[in-house]
Amino acid sequence: MEEYDYSDVKPLPIETDLQDELCRIMYTEDYKRLMGLARALISLNELSPRALQLTAEIIDVAPAFYTIWNYRFNIVRHMMSESEDTVLYLNKELDWLDEVTLNNPKNYQIWSYRQSLLKLHPSPSFKRELPILKLMIDDDSKNYHVWSYRKWCCLFFSDFQHELAYASDLIETDIYNNSAWTHRMFYWVNAKDVISKVELADELQFIMDKIQLVPQNISPWTYLRGFQELFHDRLQWDSKVVDFATTFIGDVLSLPIGSPEDLPEIESSYALEFLAYHWGADPCTRDNAVKAYSLLAIKYDPIRKNLWHHKINNLN
Amino acid sequence: MCQATNGPSRVVTKKHRKFFERHLQLLPSSHQGHDVNRMAIIFYSISGLSIFDVNVSAKYGDHLGWMRKHYIKTVLDDTENTAISGFVGSLVMNIPHATTINLPNTLFALLSMIMLRDYEYFETILDKRSLARFVSKCQRPDRGSFVSCLDYKTNCGSSVDSDDLRFCYIAVAILYICGCRSKEDFDEYIDTEKLLGYIMSQQCYNGAFGAHNEPHSGYTSCALSTLALLSSLEKLSDKFKEDTITWLLHRQVSSHGCMKFESELNASYDQSDDGGFQGRENKFADTCYAFWCLNSLHLLTKDWKMLCQTELVTNYLLDRTQKTLTGGFSKNDEEDADLYHSCLGSAALALIEGKFNGELCIPQEIFNDFSKRCCF
Repeated sequence: MEEYDYSDVKPLPIETDLQDELCRIMYTEDYKRLMGLARALISLNELSPRALQLTAEIIDVAPAFYTIWNYRFNIVRHMMSESEDTVLYLNKELDWLDEVTLNNPKNYQIWSYRQSLLKLHPSPSFKRELPILKLMIDDDSKNYHVWSYRKWCCLFFSDFQHELAYASDLIETDIYNNSAWTHRMFYWVNAKDVISKVELADELQFIMDKIQLVPQNISPWTYLRGFQELFHDRLQWDSKVVDFATTFIGDVLSLPIGSPEDLPEIESSYALEFLAYHWGADPCTRDNAVKAYSLLAIKYDPIRKNLWHHKINNLN
Repeated sequence: MCQATNGPSRVVTKKHRKFFERHLQLLPSSHQGHDVNRMAIIFYSISGLSIFDVNVSAKYGDHLGWMRKHYIKTVLDDTENTAISGFVGSLVMNIPHATTINLPNTLFALLSMIMLRDYEYFETILDKRSLARFVSKCQRPDRGSFVSCLDYKTNCGSSVDSDDLRFCYIAVAILYICGCRSKEDFDEYIDTEKLLGYIMSQQCYNGAFGAHNEPHSGYTSCALSTLALLSSLEKLSDKFKEDTITWLLHRQVSSHGCMKFESELNASYDQSDDGGFQGRENKFADTCYAFWCLNSLHLLTKDWKMLCQTELVTNYLLDRTQKTLTGGFSKNDEEDADLYHSCLGSAALALIEGKFNGELCIPQEIFNDFSKRCCF
């Protein structure tokens, strides 16, 4: 790390040990020194290499300090205009940010800062973002900020070509990863107008294969319903999907509703709920829906019994 | 809380009070990273103490002078000399010639002042017009959403900050505290229609709210509370409301019926989470989501307590994440208690008891008293 001279800066020291202070913090000497300098430089709005270095040190001890990100951005914007190679300069800044990102997975300022840098960059590249996105998702496969940032990139670069395969890989690793399932829906919503019937049929097969593998998994069932609703004007799959869902509920629909002990196990409460929702929409199959909800209440998903009774009331 | 006064009880009230009190005292240097948002620590502690019936205004009244110092008013360099004002989270952030007030710290400070019953402050010192003007400047004209702070030099909405449902909620809550009630009141400062458009754009296809169709109970609570404060819940379609209620109730983790099949395969499932709430599909239950989900349900239906069988979530909180030795609540049973989860765990219990204003996240009685005293 380059050493800069701050000896000419008159620090703005932080006030400590106030009499009526709440949550007084036992500051370290280093923190007091850094903050004293940072406050002085922000106040002067000094846009210099040494100020840039100082923001990195502050971010290291206090990444939640929102003004420091703003200050750093203004320094970068200023120095970029003075540098000979803007692209190189901004890429170096992105490299620095990658390191900070790895050390602060839950900080959300990082992602909006990154967006600002890409908007400033003369030739931004999605490809350059992929390694850090991969590392962050490998570390926490359901990190909401990282997924949101990936989606922002897709929209910013108008590039969705890797998304379906990427989501498939993550579902392969963890079939319960709901973020990966919702990422598929994000893909379809944005690709809606250019998708062929063959691709849609393949996707339906993909969903059914995954459900077959693990029937009691809420993510693909929710996705299936959303997918059907998104493309309901183009494809008539109802009977195929209904037949498929029926394979997970055994013959419970034809059995009398007795005590829970008398009812057999079924493979998936979500299949039963999916069918109930489907049947409830048509007066001819409404009785089936009522029965399916009753079964959920009695045996297959009893914690939500009052919800299932509420659904039955809605049907009547 | 009433459980505490009913003789032997599972709520370790005294320990919780001590836990929250500790956070208002001297903190070790490991808290330096939170220094800039110290107002959040103050809010969570004072809210927690208020829930457990501590008379915070008597106990911490001596600190009002210090609290008030966090309020900063800046005259803009424009022809009309207009002013903006708001709070910084820490005096460390009070930097000459730089605008450092932000929306979250402003809301945390205002709510803390309400709980400390500093009514004189609201009636005579706080400049509500310049405060509302600050909120107004945080709205993004293109999307209708809000960022949390302004550029420290230009005083325009910060271009390096994110905008999401949290900041929309905070912006509207601040204006509500400043006295805005009708659409006309809000329209005086913000583009309410545009904001509503943004909130509607965050609806997910299967119910609930989130970014890009990934529903999240925290964002859902923010969206619904914002709509409630704007008296605009009726803008949601009946189908969406029903889907959202269903989605929220599905967040209650169960170890019964078919759910038990998940225990061997799903790495984010734990049978002992039974009764607790998760933030998203296929995640562990977590104390804070009990509050976010219950608050959302309570805004959507008067039958919320019956629908989610509140005794189950109460058991989850008291038997699994309440820390009977140290006081406070943890995120889950593996970690130590922390301030955020302690405040929201307590808030969830108070909401169930009908004693909590979930939209503003303070005890209902305190809000009622404030409304009676401070009619703007």
